[in-house]
Amino acid sequence: MSVRIQRDWWSKSLAGVLLGLILGLVCSALFMQFAEVEPASVKVQLAMWMVAPIWLAVASGSYLFQTGKQAWVWLCGINLILVGLYLAASKL
Amino acid sequence: MNTDLIRVYKSVHTWTGILSGLALFIAFYAGAITVFKEPLVRWASPPGLGQVEAVSLEEASDLVVKTLTAHPEAGKDLRLHLKPAEHLSSRVSWQLRDQSSDDHGSHDSHHFTATLDQDGELITREAHPSQLGEFIDTLHRVVGLPFDSEPNRWIMGVIASLYVVALVSGVIILLPTLVKDLFALRLGKNLKRMWLDAHNVVGIVSLPMHLLMALTAVVFAFHDPIYIVQDKLIHEGGLRQAFQSGLPGAAPDQPTDPVKMLPATEMIARVQALSPTFEPYMLQYVGVTTPRAQVRVWGRDEHTIVARAWGGFAPVNPYTGEVMSLEYMPVLQSEASATLSSFFSLHFASYGGDTVRWIYFLLALAGAWLFYTGNLLWVESRRRKQKRDGQSPLPGQRRDTLIMAALTVGICLGSVSGISVTIAAAKWLNGYGELLADWHRYIYYLIFFASILWSLLRGAARASVELLWLAGLTTLLIPLTSMLGVTLPSLGIWSHPATATLAVDITALAGGLGFLWMARITARRVYHGQPLDTLWSLRTVNDSSTANSKIIVGK
Repeated sequence: MSVRIQRDWWSKSLAGVLLGLILGLVCSALFMQFAEVEPASVKVQLAMWMVAPIWLAVASGSYLFQTGKQAWVWLCGINLILVGLYLAASKL
Repeated sequence: MNTDLIRVYKSVHTWTGILSGLALFIAFYAGAITVFKEPLVRWASPPGLGQVEAVSLEEASDLVVKTLTAHPEAGKDLRLHLKPAEHLSSRVSWQLRDQSSDDHGSHDSHHFTATLDQDGELITREAHPSQLGEFIDTLHRVVGLPFDSEPNRWIMGVIASLYVVALVSGVIILLPTLVKDLFALRLGKNLKRMWLDAHNVVGIVSLPMHLLMALTAVVFAFHDPIYIVQDKLIHEGGLRQAFQSGLPGAAPDQPTDPVKMLPATEMIARVQALSPTFEPYMLQYVGVTTPRAQVRVWGRDEHTIVARAWGGFAPVNPYTGEVMSLEYMPVLQSEASATLSSFFSLHFASYGGDTVRWIYFLLALAGAWLFYTGNLLWVESRRRKQKRDGQSPLPGQRRDTLIMAALTVGICLGSVSGISVTIAAAKWLNGYGELLADWHRYIYYLIFFASILWSLLRGAARASVELLWLAGLTTLLIPLTSMLGVTLPSLGIWSHPATATLAVDITALAGGLGFLWMARITARRVYHGQPLDTLWSLRTVNDSSTANSKIIVGK
């Protein structure tokens, strides 16, 4: 395997930082929706703590994508699906 | 694994590393010292200001009531100290913040203490406790910047985020050859290979600690903005309420007159009864003249993790004696709270007692070394790249490389010397009162910037030897100052006989000798080493690159 990876530094970095942050926030929203943690004061703190690790995992991983465009498409897609799931769940 | 991918992540590692490395060096060196903040503050506190024991624990409740009556403004947050220590000069103390100051910074606070005289009369005075521990802690928290303010925390957060990416990318590039490289420390001719092997080994072995520090640091930097965004988008404004849930409200007829509070000994006994291994050391009276009255019984528990750097606590209703919550109590807290506490405890080394603190101290020094070597490797790689590009005859070192090398030496060793001098100065600055914090800052930054300037003027090679000498000698000033206190008491300098404060002197002695040893072996390499094509040796292969000694000024 020696497929050359497109560098696309700017678009991959931006995708990782922006969409990673959104993914972290969306995951924390799903955590608030679905996790059963007591007391509430601890639950909101755990929800805050989980944002940064998810955000930075995505930011570090975004250079694994073949191209910058792929990074945007995939990360937007995952975000949209999870936002949809969250909105559907909170309507119920 | 795809070799092109490795190349991508090498670039990521290089750039995130070079952007964050120098700030992280300061954060780690100051952090290693912050592990022992309390012994250091005790070391730096003058004797003779008064003692906690002057008022017995039984009389303490009387003291608290008298203080609250005479100084109602102390009711927001009044502290009752249970155990004597060098840095505590009275049973009761409180702080008042200037209106303008930031909620996290304590640089604009006024400190007060209260005690009782022999007739039971209240004596209060403004105190000027040592600012040394706080100053070094601030350097640690905001990567070498002077104030722990909101903008500086953002800078720290960006540095810590780059640090996370540098760690992940560093692991990715090492993965394919992990086993081979991990057990290979190739000592010998190829010095760059040896430094790289050492950098890799230290990085991998201490990786869990680094990941933990990096992630918790990002959260410490950005928790306020994340909470604000989550409150708007997810909690729909319910965050405040969620935080307050779980605490029982005031009883309908609950008094707010401090005279009716339970004695301190009673509240301690109630919390102590819950956990035999919990060792209370302070009572924090929070809003006790309001319906939300609460007395936090703070304590340590060496057998488990605790909620915060300064221990765990149980809030007690001072009028009913009810223990209001167990969420911050070691062992007794819920699993979810214990998870949360573990993040803090693992960052602050507030578990496992002194053994763990020493391990953290050494890991932090190793971390500082990791960033230093990372920069050295960057410098050497630039040279190799120059050669690979086939420039012939070999040109002088690139100017950006020379500047980076000089900055690495100046910033790293400058922060070490600056911290050492400001520590030693703590005993000479006694009596400067309100200006203590400012003086610690001036002294540190004077040495810090002077070292950077020196390094830029002299070039990295010469400066590395000279600044290591400076680091060694300035660090030795710490035990020398204490020795002067013993031999010449008329100077007004002191040395406490406690093990913890003597350990400060002994550690500084070992550190100072260590820097002097490094200065000697560095000098050998710079002035008498094998002629190598490196900017770290003044005996270079081709004379054109001795240009490194007269870099910046000349051009």
